Amino acid sequence: MKTIKTAINNIDLRRFRFWLQLFFFALLMYGGYFAIDLGSRLPTFACAFNEAGRGGICYLFPLQHQLGVPSSRLFSWAGLAVLQGLLIFSLWFFALNKAWCGYACPLGTIQDWITALRNRLGIRYSRYSQGQFRQLSRIKYLLLALMILIPLGVGAALLPHEMGTPFCDICPARMVLPMFTGDFSQLTIDFSSKTTMIMTTLGLLITGLFFTGAFFKKRFFCFFCPMSALHYLLSKPALLKLKKDGNKCTSCGDCYRVCDMEIREIADEVNETNIMQDDCIMCLKCVAHCPEPDALKATFAGIPIFSSTEQGFIKRMHKGQKHEQQ
Amino acid sequence: MNSSEADTYYLSRQAREAEATLEQLQDDFPDNPQAMQYFYDLFHRVYGQGEIIKHSGKLVGTTCIHAPEELIYAFGATPVRLCNGSYHYDQIGADFMPAKSCSLVKATLGSLQAKAAVPNTQSLDLIVNPTTCDQKTKASAMMSAMGYKVEDLELPPAKESEEARLYWQRSVRRLATRLRELTGNKLTRKKLQHAMARTSRAQTAFRTLHQLRKSAPTILLGKDAFLVTNAYFFDDIERWTAAVEQLNNELLQRQQDGFQAAQKRAPRILFTGSPPIFPNLKLPILIETSGGVVVADETCSANRMLYDMTAVDEWRLNDMVDSLADRYLKPCTCPIFTRNDDRQRRLLQLATDFKVDGVVYQAFSGCQVYEMEYRSIADALAERGLPMLYVETDYSPDDMGQLSTRIEAFLESIKTRKRQAL
Repeated sequence: MKTIKTAINNIDLRRFRFWLQLFFFALLMYGGYFAIDLGSRLPTFACAFNEAGRGGICYLFPLQHQLGVPSSRLFSWAGLAVLQGLLIFSLWFFALNKAWCGYACPLGTIQDWITALRNRLGIRYSRYSQGQFRQLSRIKYLLLALMILIPLGVGAALLPHEMGTPFCDICPARMVLPMFTGDFSQLTIDFSSKTTMIMTTLGLLITGLFFTGAFFKKRFFCFFCPMSALHYLLSKPALLKLKKDGNKCTSCGDCYRVCDMEIREIADEVNETNIMQDDCIMCLKCVAHCPEPDALKATFAGIPIFSSTEQGFIKRMHKGQKHEQQ
Repeated sequence: MNSSEADTYYLSRQAREAEATLEQLQDDFPDNPQAMQYFYDLFHRVYGQGEIIKHSGKLVGTTCIHAPEELIYAFGATPVRLCNGSYHYDQIGADFMPAKSCSLVKATLGSLQAKAAVPNTQSLDLIVNPTTCDQKTKASAMMSAMGYKVEDLELPPAKESEEARLYWQRSVRRLATRLRELTGNKLTRKKLQHAMARTSRAQTAFRTLHQLRKSAPTILLGKDAFLVTNAYFFDDIERWTAAVEQLNNELLQRQQDGFQAAQKRAPRILFTGSPPIFPNLKLPILIETSGGVVVADETCSANRMLYDMTAVDEWRLNDMVDSLADRYLKPCTCPIFTRNDDRQRRLLQLATDFKVDGVVYQAFSGCQVYEMEYRSIADALAERGLPMLYVETDYSPDDMGQLSTRIEAFLESIKTRKRQAL
């Protein structure tokens, strides 16, 4: 038991993550070819528009549809369908918490690949200032609110019905992910009406921004993701948790240093034990880069599954140096 | 007296002081680890006989732990820590420093003023002076006036804010520019990586030693641990690391054999405050000759200097240099910063991890920041039921009698408490 634990805590997280992300990417992007269907309540960007290959569907797509039904129906039996959808979504989500972002999300994985490419080209990354960070961090809640309010408006016949899935229209996943199964048809402006024209143009612009942003900023899009906001609102009962023991923390800031999402609390907060913040993608890089035994750990249903250790830290740092020297 | 005779005189006085301490370290205690012989010999040679440690490239003196050594090594230069522990140099410093300055700063400046100082510092190419406490900050101009090239490494007075962090990162980058001018070398990714790997190997060895001291009963005395980390100030880093690794192996063997370096009931002491720097190891030695054992410390001549390690995400120059800057600022528990929550938490955690019975807090007279933090630390420890002895002292041997009485009484009271608890 102890040997297994040591082996896990000594794991080369970079490599482990690469392969697990690749697995999820294949499952969600190409699973459809193998008749895999995980349903349409997935808490991650398995894009519905990737029709041929999708192994499941991102919950935001049906959610907007469900909310967009005529109001009279929504507030009677259709409301139950929304609740049922939310329940299934929550169950998926509770299992992995935000690790859906750090390990499963195809759009997140693509951003990590872009980061790896930039790093290989020897170009430095950029960071936000703390002020910018705080402002940008709010956008995802705004997007979430709009994503719910606009379909409701459509249902109440206050907005044109072409705005039924407003977030999907502007989501970069809709344009980027189908390309991986050879479908480039989403990369067009839809001239059928004024609304679709505006929305698809916006979508194209955001996709362009996605590629440029992700090249210079690690996990650029995740700061704005309304799925991430929805996750956070539901994260209290999740089984996978990120824990911190502030007494063991030396405030060295190594965890903050490596955090793709620039979450300062991971290093500075010493009283709160449940340390996961709203921007967290649960990639667990912070745990891997913490040299203090048990200061940071991931737990599943209260059982520690991956803890920071001195030995693991030293091993990984050593490997990181060697890896880059080649 | 001509000048060469004067040199010999200074050398011999300071050599006598060093030899006296070494004699105590070696002879007053039985069963010293064999691997400690390397360190005893090293100090004999460097402090007693004035041997010059060979170094490559320019020699860069540092006056505080905040100067990133990896950066200095990466430019092909060699760092040497100038913080001095000699009473002899303390007296020289007193000639031109205010009476209320602390012994450490007086001795450091005294040694820079002295001819043929030991350890050898006469060929310094640059002094990196982090602007930590007021006395070290003001020492900058004095060192310049002595003819040294001084680079002030600007340290912020707080470390929590993002502004402070960014300011410090810029300071460190400016140091890199200065070192490039000095050495004529270019900083490359490979060189910095190599330097960081070397330092991290040294830190790993230190951490192993540190963890081994958790053993109860103890397998290594604190006086030896302090001597080991003091050697890091000037010794060749690779040779030092190899010597510590060897010591670790021996201690591991001791652990397996059930060896006891002190009595089983010896009060386990955590040492904090002003740093014991060779030859001024009087307080740790007093504690251990009086039947206590120093099992851990929170001082800038040992733990604070070597414990915290650097993490890097992307091994590119910009990320590596900023990571280094973070490591030299964020975890530092020096009392010069505005807040001291980190220091309190660190002490409490060390006390738990090392099963500590009591804390000895050394404050050099004149070190106002340590004096000011005394109360908050005492309160935090008292809340945990940990007794603390606060000792205000300096490098002079005059207070030895008084100190030994106080320490004996302190240790005795711990022993009584322990007996009563049983």
